[in-house]
Amino acid sequence: MKGYELGETAVGAAVGGERAVWAPHESLLGWVASVDHKQIGIMYMVAAFAFFGLGGIEALLLRIQLAVPHNNFLSPETFNELFTMHGTTMIFLVAMPLLTGFTVYLVPLMIGARDMAFPRLNAMSFWLQVFGGVMLYFSFFARGAPNAGWFSYAPLSESAYSFGSGQDYWILSLLVMGIGTVAGAINVIATVATLRVRAMTMRRLPLFVWMTFVNSFLMLMALPILNAALVMLLIDRQLHAHFFTPASGGSAILWQHYFWGFGHPEVYIVILPAFGMISEIIPVFARKPIFGYEFVAASTVAIAFLSFAVWAHHMFAVGLSDVFNLFFAVASMSIAVPTGVKVFNWTATLYGGRLRFTTAMMFALAFLVMFTIGGLSGVSFAVVPIDWQLTDTYYLVAHLHYVFFGGTVLASFAGIYYWFPKLTGRMLSESLGKWHFWLSFIGLNLTFFVQHVLGMMGMPRRVFTYPDLPYWGALNMLSTVGAFVLLAAVVVFAWNLGVSLKHGEEAGDNPWDAWTLEWATSSPPPVDNFTRVPPVRGRRPLWDLAHPELADELQGRAA
Amino acid sequence: MLSKSKLAMVLFIVSEANFFALLLMAYAYYHALDPGGANGAGALDVVTTGLYSVCLFSSSATLWAADRRLRRQEYRGGIRWLLATIALGAIFLYGQGREYARLLRSGVTVSRNLFGTTFFTLTGFHGLHVFLGLCALATLAGLALRSGIRERQTQAVEAVGLYWHFVDAVWVVIFGVVYLGSVL
Amino acid sequence: MTALDTLNPMSPLAAAIAKLFAAVLVILGLIFALVAVLVVFAIVRYRERPGAQLPRQILGSDRLEIVWTAIPILLLAVIFVFTVKVMHAASPSAASRSPDLLVVGHQWWWEVNYLKSGVVTANELHLPIGQRVLIRLESADVIHDFWVPRLGRKLDAIPGHPGYLWLEADAPGVYLGACAEFCGAEHAWMRFEVVAQPPAQFAAWEQAQLAVPPVPRPAPALAGRKLFVARTCVNCHRFAGTSADRHVGPDLTHLADRRMLAGGAVANTPSTLAQWLKDPNSIKPDSHMPNFQLSDAEVAELAAYLESTK
Repeated sequence: MKGYELGETAVGAAVGGERAVWAPHESLLGWVASVDHKQIGIMYMVAAFAFFGLGGIEALLLRIQLAVPHNNFLSPETFNELFTMHGTTMIFLVAMPLLTGFTVYLVPLMIGARDMAFPRLNAMSFWLQVFGGVMLYFSFFARGAPNAGWFSYAPLSESAYSFGSGQDYWILSLLVMGIGTVAGAINVIATVATLRVRAMTMRRLPLFVWMTFVNSFLMLMALPILNAALVMLLIDRQLHAHFFTPASGGSAILWQHYFWGFGHPEVYIVILPAFGMISEIIPVFARKPIFGYEFVAASTVAIAFLSFAVWAHHMFAVGLSDVFNLFFAVASMSIAVPTGVKVFNWTATLYGGRLRFTTAMMFALAFLVMFTIGGLSGVSFAVVPIDWQLTDTYYLVAHLHYVFFGGTVLASFAGIYYWFPKLTGRMLSESLGKWHFWLSFIGLNLTFFVQHVLGMMGMPRRVFTYPDLPYWGALNMLSTVGAFVLLAAVVVFAWNLGVSLKHGEEAGDNPWDAWTLEWATSSPPPVDNFTRVPPVRGRRPLWDLAHPELADELQGRAA
Repeated sequence: MLSKSKLAMVLFIVSEANFFALLLMAYAYYHALDPGGANGAGALDVVTTGLYSVCLFSSSATLWAADRRLRRQEYRGGIRWLLATIALGAIFLYGQGREYARLLRSGVTVSRNLFGTTFFTLTGFHGLHVFLGLCALATLAGLALRSGIRERQTQAVEAVGLYWHFVDAVWVVIFGVVYLGSVL
Repeated sequence: MTALDTLNPMSPLAAAIAKLFAAVLVILGLIFALVAVLVVFAIVRYRERPGAQLPRQILGSDRLEIVWTAIPILLLAVIFVFTVKVMHAASPSAASRSPDLLVVGHQWWWEVNYLKSGVVTANELHLPIGQRVLIRLESADVIHDFWVPRLGRKLDAIPGHPGYLWLEADAPGVYLGACAEFCGAEHAWMRFEVVAQPPAQFAAWEQAQLAVPPVPRPAPALAGRKLFVARTCVNCHRFAGTSADRHVGPDLTHLADRRMLAGGAVANTPSTLAQWLKDPNSIKPDSHMPNFQLSDAEVAELAAYLESTK
């Protein structure tokens, strides 16, 4: 630990969970049996990366099938299994556990705590996640994977039309992971609410912690909606009930209400922690505090509330009443406002700064621009008549990938380059990082930008092949080429991870001159996280120590 | 300030309430579409279930009494009230079992119609929660019998108590909507 | 640009949406350009230079926050006003008007019923130009979605929940349609065509469709007719003038007149029809049309019969 000059009186003790009763071991058993939030956080990330590989392979197979018209590289059944698994994997087995990994690793460190509020519960959440993921993939060996799409619209997902057991595995796997996610959310809220180090008021909380805190409330409210819908579908399928079977009086539309009642908050669940990472990374590499801290935090709360009132914009094509549609149009447009506030605040943070273009910062800046595309194309779905034309087309596929890849994935890459030194004690290679960045940036735009155009030309989503209409083949081929550029990017990234883990430059405690508490301890941190927690007098404790003359509290506004 | 275990239980209850709200909405929605007549809510025996429900409702009071005594470290009295709570909960579950058996014999099943589908799902999940609550209460009783309740475990008693009152409250709503709704 | 069906409308219904879409695209494009220019400018202007001072620690500006909250709200308010207007233009209320057409989505084909004349067809919808027809949209199994990008909005076909949709075309032509809601294995080949014709031609087409084909004379076709009735074809299909009167599969009476086969998977020619009868899976895997293991001779006879109505 770098020797901060700390007066003994100013030192806070890390507060925390139950004290680890055994030191974590680097043995396999040490990891498996661990209740240490850092090991669990890393395991979440490793599991997410493994599933990212699977989801990526699925995507490549889909893109190969779609490269040319009238292709029969994959059978329609296989294609449908693969896109169902791709969507389910990327949302539930990649985005959520990856962000949860960052959350459980960083939140205790950022608030000066020793561990999560409930370390054993934390381990339980993680293993439920793994178990759910393995169960989902087991379906491939048990008479076929699910093939009704990641939102499994009834009655297609009912036993009359999906008679394989894949759909049941899908339900059970999501239920298991959903329970783990609710437990995880409870844990994060309890941690932030009760384990903050002295003087770490809510107004001094790092924005990443703010966003994961708000996000946990979203999970707490949204996942039970999914779980309820899932058990109803399961009871329909296994006990021949009639919730979602129109032939015997059930309602196909009720499933949609329930699914999207969960599904739209879910979209924010997998983007809010990404917002949090960006809100940490951009200021550090601009050497300035975040612009408009209160507005960035408050807009998150606004997004969380609004996200529960926008679900039916997924259902404009159902043909519900105009009044109903207009209500959801207003709510969906409204949610663009707090999101815009964030984008403008991040951009404003750059102004007057001293920008250092590390790989982490480059990914963060790319996020800023790419996510803006995804956010803006999202506005077109709030405009009901435009939605009537474009929903369920490749324009939508493009939109959601600009949000998830351009948003969540780019932000996570930024986060990995930024926090890898803390996690491992070693730096990731910046030169490989630049390759990784440019390949990702080019691949992303090549793959997904053309899909906007395909959607506008009338290409529906989820088709295993398509007729040879003007430009369709060429544009799809471009998109497929882009997917392979992304493959190259991921290979470079994996290579970078492997090489840097062994031979990376030693990181030291605080390689970026960052200012939140996780950088005040060694890299990687000791079992109990801190020997001493520096005093917290503002939002940037380490900055205040290094630059007492520029400390936030002297600037009049902060804290 | 709430203790972390109590806070966690409150949060868990919020998420569970949300879950039950959705099952209840599904019941109400389909009941409005198709009440099902004699094979619907009309098949329910409101009075009998009402009597069993009184057991569940009074178990909240006995648990409250147990909690007070355990906090004052009056273990004998506390355990006695705890056992009374468990007994009342078990009687309720027995009643639910009898009710299910009667309905199934008369042909009202999950797959019979929308009433069966929604009724058994809603009350079944509630019954499952009562059962889990009984397990938690039994664990507490076991701990108390063996070694008395230590300070750390009073938090557990409070948390389980919150859960039990919640399960009770859910039944108030279900009984109101499903049973009283069928005769009003 | 002409390939961009959603921006190349062929009906007043679609035109209203296309205009709004184009305007919104411009607005969104400008906002994107603004953000991109701001970011790129910052990258160029504020990059770290050797020996630079620590930047001034700016915490925010309430005035700017108000500006970038208020301006988007105003923009969205304007967009909302046009949203309401265009909704009514693109999808007017059907009120109590009775529908002209009943369209039913099946896994994986479209059944089209002309309610006034009684014509029944599949995967090909004929329309007199300049007339607005009202479609009642239903589904026989799972959720489908009826969409002709150049003619207007899409609408889900939901079992147990009929929907109503207007359709109109300005000029004669063939407009491509597709199922836009994932509906199972062959969702990709649940395409259809809208053939817009001058009213006189449309009337002639409708008359021709109503004609009950006579028993064919040539030997192969006659044998084909016997096969058609004797084999299980009649369990799923309808053929006017025979005992076949089921609607599980498409009405085959005037199959020979249709442009495409198997939901758009192949053009309708004698050879593709023969291939379809011989081995449906080779054209449309997982389709509900079974492979009846017909001999080549039987295939030729059946094809001759189905082609005989041309």
